[in-house]
Amino acid sequence: MFRWKRNFPVDLADESSLSRREFARFLALVSAGFTAGIGYLWGRKKPFDGAPDSSGLERAVDLGPAAALHPGESKLFTFRDADDRCIVLRTQMGDLRAYRQTCTHLGCAVRYDGQRLECPCHHGFFECGQGFPVQGPPTRPLSGINLELRADGRLWAVGDLPKPGDPRRLEEPA
Amino acid sequence: MSRPRRSRMTRAALAFILMVAVIQLYLFETVLGAVLDGQRGLLPGAFVASLVLTLVALVLAWKVPHLDDGPKS
Ligand code: FES
Repeated sequence: MFRWKRNFPVDLADESSLSRREFARFLALVSAGFTAGIGYLWGRKKPFDGAPDSSGLERAVDLGPAAALHPGESKLFTFRDADDRCIVLRTQMGDLRAYRQTCTHLGCAVRYDGQRLECPCHHGFFECGQGFPVQGPPTRPLSGINLELRADGRLWAVGDLPKPGDPRRLEEPA
Repeated sequence: MSRPRRSRMTRAALAFILMVAVIQLYLFETVLGAVLDGQRGLLPGAFVASLVLTLVALVLAWKVPHLDDGPKS
């Protein structure tokens, strides 16, 4: 017998044995934890980083003259608050799109490489038409911002777009 | 030889609680994904369903008699 076993005569089989009732109680408590988690999500009013705001509050942010943004170019702005970082871009086809910069994988900031939105952390890529993930770990689309081109030629960010596939997303952005 | 009734109840209760834990994991993951996509409409329903499942699991885990009476090894 090893000396340490003589010094510490603990029967490991007894130490780690778990009765069925203890196991059942553990699982029931895990279940209660999930319920508490869902309750927290329900009670939390502030949207998570990168998630669209469903509070219905109206906001409008002036993004400057639309003509200043050429195909393949992008510009950063903040929308909901100073931490809500977003990017507006003009695609190679000339369309204007805006998204939250928060990658839907683990939350790094995406950037526009002239063709696609790229997340440098794990090389995730999103197409810029609707923000769908096209390569790498992300599986959910980026959160889109609704754009409005006003008569004076200035571009405004005016709200959250429902995610693609959501029935509330009836209109295409500008 | 048929198994004693107690042992069958034990297995059924354990299987049910295990199933509840798996359903809860799936439910939480689904709800979190929906919230991150800005859809909060399913939160009340999901919370009630989750609460009912948890209450059943808690009652079973604490109140079912003979839960430790498995087949003798
Ligand atoms: S955080 Fe963006 S790909 Fe991982």
